[in-house]
Amino acid sequence: MAQARNLLFNHRLRFALTCYAFVLPTVMLLAVFVYLPVIWAFTKSLYEFEIGGDSRWVGLRNYVEFLTQDPTTFPSIANMLFLTFFAVAMRLTIPLIVAKLIYSLPEERGRHFYRIMFLIPIVVPGVAIQLIWLGLVYADAGLVNETLAALGLDAWQRGWLSDPNTALAAMAMIGFPFIGGIDVLIYYAGLASIPQSVHEAAWLEGCVRLSKFFRIDIPMVMSQLKLILILTIIGGVQSFEGVFIVTRGGPGFKTTVPGLWMYFNAFSFQRMGYACAIGVSLFIVIFGLTLLNLKYFKSAEQLEGR
Amino acid sequence: MYKLTKFIKLGSLTLVGVLGVWLLRPPVDEAAVRKTEHGEKPADVRFNILFSPGWAYLPGSTPFGIGTPLKGLTGAIAEFEARFPDTHIEVVNTPGVREYLVTQLSSGRAPDIINVNVEDVWIDVQKGWYVALDPWLDEPNRFIREQGDPTQPGYDHWWDMFRYQAISRGKAAPDGLMYNLSYDMIETGIFYNKRIFEKVGVRVPANWEEFFAVMEKLQAAGYMPLLMSVDMFSDWGVDLVFDQLYYNLLPGIDLFKDPIREPYLQGYLDWDEICFLHDRGFFTRDDPRYVELWQHLRRLRKYVNKNLISTDLVREFVIKRAAMAWYASPLVYRLEADRALGFEWGVFYVPQFTATTSRFTSNTPMCVIGGAATQFEVTNSAFKDTGDPKTSPRLRRVMEFLQFLCVPEYYVRIVNEYPCLISNIVGVQSLPPLKPFAEILDRRYTTTKWVFTFDLRFSEIQRRMLELYLNDGIGLEGFLDWQERNLAAACANVVLRKGIDEARLRAAWDAQSAARAMMMELPDGAG
Repeated sequence: MAQARNLLFNHRLRFALTCYAFVLPTVMLLAVFVYLPVIWAFTKSLYEFEIGGDSRWVGLRNYVEFLTQDPTTFPSIANMLFLTFFAVAMRLTIPLIVAKLIYSLPEERGRHFYRIMFLIPIVVPGVAIQLIWLGLVYADAGLVNETLAALGLDAWQRGWLSDPNTALAAMAMIGFPFIGGIDVLIYYAGLASIPQSVHEAAWLEGCVRLSKFFRIDIPMVMSQLKLILILTIIGGVQSFEGVFIVTRGGPGFKTTVPGLWMYFNAFSFQRMGYACAIGVSLFIVIFGLTLLNLKYFKSAEQLEGR
Repeated sequence: MYKLTKFIKLGSLTLVGVLGVWLLRPPVDEAAVRKTEHGEKPADVRFNILFSPGWAYLPGSTPFGIGTPLKGLTGAIAEFEARFPDTHIEVVNTPGVREYLVTQLSSGRAPDIINVNVEDVWIDVQKGWYVALDPWLDEPNRFIREQGDPTQPGYDHWWDMFRYQAISRGKAAPDGLMYNLSYDMIETGIFYNKRIFEKVGVRVPANWEEFFAVMEKLQAAGYMPLLMSVDMFSDWGVDLVFDQLYYNLLPGIDLFKDPIREPYLQGYLDWDEICFLHDRGFFTRDDPRYVELWQHLRRLRKYVNKNLISTDLVREFVIKRAAMAWYASPLVYRLEADRALGFEWGVFYVPQFTATTSRFTSNTPMCVIGGAATQFEVTNSAFKDTGDPKTSPRLRRVMEFLQFLCVPEYYVRIVNEYPCLISNIVGVQSLPPLKPFAEILDRRYTTTKWVFTFDLRFSEIQRRMLELYLNDGIGLEGFLDWQERNLAAACANVVLRKGIDEARLRAAWDAQSAARAMMMELPDGAG
């Protein structure tokens, strides 16, 4: 009996070790390329440090400067919040409505066609989209200004990205109408996974059309909404490449976001330590927002008590 | 039956796919093929030199997408390799941006020769990433010496080969050393559409006030008067207006006469002079000239394209929406080569201020703001064989290659392959269409180059806040507040890094007090 137990234990141990052995390379890569740089960044944020130059210990001075002295900090955080919340509002509503419309089509062939149509824009790189908006839509003789001229609204023409009053909004509108891409498919998958019995029960209860959309469909795709929400917030806080390509954060600091300022400090201004402090601060913001999201935004499964 | 239908469907799709690929196949690029053939590295090569020549001469590239691919540099490289069989020159295309430099140079993996604005290099020179070229430039050019004619420039000193000495020598870093070779020159000018000028009934303006009158008429006629970007405002615009307002102050504020550079730069204000003057109220809101500088640029804004960051200036000029474009000499090739252009164009330089323009006007023609275009820097990769620039045979070969590229018979094939940049080698004339720019370059050099004097943070903030000011996002007071803090921070940073000889500057300052006493409306601290 004891021998059999030993055998079983050895077998389980060997199995467990084999599993760990398979996972180990991935964990090591993750550690080397993800966790170590984060630790390195945190360490360097406590130094005045430039690539190829000397380092000098400054403690939390970089953080103090970022939070209390740098005049760009709060305007750039406000810009980031505006762009992020705008993106959240767009990505949580418009693709969901489009997905619902596609899902409501009577024939599978039609649904299939529209799914593909909305997926195709994924292949266009983000940089290309931004350059198109920069050069063709917002240019002096671009789509917006020429349309206004054609409508006799010449007085409304402006340099949309140069005008301090419109630059941030113009930046946020890049990607309009916000329906091309993976979001529609994610919502569509969520809608498709709602059991037929739920649809039938709703119909029997007289819950149809808009009422069904708000009371049945949206709660049932809450997992997808949560996923998109988290991804949009993380993307909004982290990303700066769009702003970098389109406005470089100007005019003034009207479209600057903290990520962009971090980039400039790291590679242009020779202040890698300060850039690391901005990066760590952003990490803390993202981490906090994600925790809040996980805690207060219930998925469909949690709502069902599963 | 089902299988047959499926087969036909798949077959048709495959056929369409193959046909599509065949139709869309790229044209054969003969120059690129030659480059590839040439680019093969011989087995017994001792020195494999990576050379990043920059956009203007990249073999196989087609400037503005017009004409045949470039091959001038390929020929020169082939002749150099024939002369030195143990050497292979590998042409690479690298981004001329700081992000690239920082990462590649810190790891010692940058090309041996790169082409970037040397001002982007200055901030890192103390890290040993770049080779100071002074000792090499003071030596003879080996290939000129071999030709045996002592009267030829370059026979005694490589330096003597360069035509625009003021600009070339003016590229010395704040530590006094030269880290770049000014291979050719670029200058700006105002391109104008002669047909539009005739139609509207305006002529090339003779001064700043006429310039504004011309722009007013062009705007009234429905044309965009002038095309500019925010970078041009922040770089070219600031320097030219600054020079107009400050040039006649130089006898009282030019505190350091560099014995080497003074004959060429004629009173150039270096970073330490600007810092010293800034401490005494210059370049602050207490300095009326400095305040006026920004007002002149603001006045110009009214006649310039709406979008200062993304307007395609070349397109707007070519499609005749705009009457003038402030641009640099490479546009000459674009306009010359365009057979469907449909209008005659000319070039004039920015006209000078008059007494009507400003009570501070220096009454002097606008200065030169252009300068070195292709700027070759030699990196730490060049002496990686020994780790010491003094003993490195590899570095010597790299320098010989650069000397070879400066020999007129090879230089002419590279720089004059198409009308783009101006020759900086004595004995090599620029192509005729570039004549107006070559003439502009003969003018006096600017009083200072604001964008390139301080760190990149200073330039970035000046550009951003100027754009905001020009677009009514901030008033003059607010802008000056930013600019003062920006300049103070830049001065503090450069003084921290380089140190400043305060005693010497103070002595010169005191010695020039009599000259300043004759000058009007200086800041309070200038007494």
